[in-house]
Amino acid sequence: MLDALSAELLKLRRHKATWFLVWLYPILFTIIFTLSTAVGMAGLEPPDRQNLASWLAQTAIPWRIPGNGLGRYMMAAFIALVFAGEYGWNTWKLIVPHRSRSSLIAAKYGAVILLFLAAFVLSAFISLLGTWADDVLTGDIVPAGIGAASLLRVHGQAALSALSPFLVTLGYASLAAVLTRSTLAGLVIALVAVTAEQLVLAFGPALAMKAPAIAWVLYQALPGYHLDNLAAWTQQGAGLHTPFPGGGVVAWSWPASLAAVAAWLLILIGGTFAAFRRQDIN
Amino acid sequence: MDIPAPVLELANLSKTYRGGVAAVRDVSLSVRAGEVYGFLGPNGAGKSTTIRMLIGLIAPTSGEARLFGSDLRSDPSVLRRVGSLVDGGAFYPFLSGRRNLEVLAKTHGAGADRIDMLLEQVGLAKDSGRKVKGYSTGMRQRLGVAAALLNDPEIVILDEPVNGLDVAGIQEMRALIRSLAVEHGKTVFLSSHLLHEVQQVCDRVAIISKGAIVRESTIADLLRQDDGLRVEALIVRATRAEAPEVVRRLVGVGAELFRLVPEQRNLEEVFLSITQEEPGDA
Repeated sequence: MLDALSAELLKLRRHKATWFLVWLYPILFTIIFTLSTAVGMAGLEPPDRQNLASWLAQTAIPWRIPGNGLGRYMMAAFIALVFAGEYGWNTWKLIVPHRSRSSLIAAKYGAVILLFLAAFVLSAFISLLGTWADDVLTGDIVPAGIGAASLLRVHGQAALSALSPFLVTLGYASLAAVLTRSTLAGLVIALVAVTAEQLVLAFGPALAMKAPAIAWVLYQALPGYHLDNLAAWTQQGAGLHTPFPGGGVVAWSWPASLAAVAAWLLILIGGTFAAFRRQDIN
Repeated sequence: MDIPAPVLELANLSKTYRGGVAAVRDVSLSVRAGEVYGFLGPNGAGKSTTIRMLIGLIAPTSGEARLFGSDLRSDPSVLRRVGSLVDGGAFYPFLSGRRNLEVLAKTHGAGADRIDMLLEQVGLAKDSGRKVKGYSTGMRQRLGVAAALLNDPEIVILDEPVNGLDVAGIQEMRALIRSLAVEHGKTVFLSSHLLHEVQQVCDRVAIISKGAIVRESTIADLLRQDDGLRVEALIVRATRAEAPEVVRRLVGVGAELFRLVPEQRNLEEVFLSITQEEPGDA
């Protein structure tokens, strides 16, 4: 299994998509902080005073990407490539005879998770270093009370909030890529799924005016509400309360939302394993 | 003389695709250790589908594929003793030849210690650092052979290994295939639609047409089947000693005789006569 994971990483680290869709984030944060510091040092903006909470929250900005729509689209593009690339390159034939199909798919999941984890940890580190350097070099005041415990708490919460949208996007794109055997089709289906999920989340209560039963079921059945609900529980210690026309309120506890997300992951990721195990590779 | 045990046996192997298209019908054959076995058939006859079933890429609809005495479906790990070249040009185009082999060695769990030797053996040592997308068809085929030999297999399955090669490449590939059996003691299962190739390198051959085996024999036996004399459009059954009398009689009846040649049917003619028959007629 470790051999298969190592092979996957060796393969992906040379691919341009890994630079454009994974290492993009640390590169982007480096550029942003360098420019911001340069602007600050040139005296083009007034000195900034931040409290500890906002300062820490700023350093954790990279962890917001996996929960953001555009971030999810970009992650879906890379995931679709990783899972459907072998069909396009015609290379499943080289590796399927030598490894169990489950271990090959598991290696792909492992590689994607490791690469994104590395990219976001690196981005968060750059963000932390950049925020601190910007303050020091431009004369801003670094708030007192910053320590390993506060940093770990804020970054840990942010990372936890990022985990479920990342995993659901991983599930959408991997299943679509394996079923369609195409990077483009896999990506398009994943984009449609992410968009549909967000539209239902945004317009569910409004849709309830026209079709109350459908809106009520969709709002709670799709992962969107549960992802946001879990993020709210993680960040604020309280869940979402969404009032629906007619007096209904959607308000799930965090274990219930976690179970709903887990069920979705089981369907999406389990479906990917099952589909690939039964697939004829022509 | 003892007949070596079969390393590969197919028993009534069939594949019917959705829609009822029968690609392979009741294919049975056995390949003995150390022989070069040809699997001959025109395009679309079912060669590639059979090979894909043999290496676990396609699930058979019915029948059994046994390698080294083990049923492939119950013990797929037996494929670790097999090397295969299917769609020889298929590699990760963004990686070099060497990096491709490294990725495959890791996936196979084979170790990278044979890579240099194999690159030397297939004549790609000098070009191993170049990206595969810049390789010619012949170079890709040779890299495919190196990939098939990475795990030092006991049986090598080659699907159309000389496709796209020029004359020199074909000769090199032919020598390589023979050397696998003669010098390295490997069993070779070779599919091709190129009759001359099969005639040159194989000990035994199975001919597949329209999804079914229509002949299985040694090359020598196959060629011995139909000898005779041919005079332009007129075939005369006669011995060599009777040839002068045949000439006298033909001239005597006013025939314009240009030449009299003994008919030496080659494998191509035998093959065409066999594959033009319906499988049920065989």
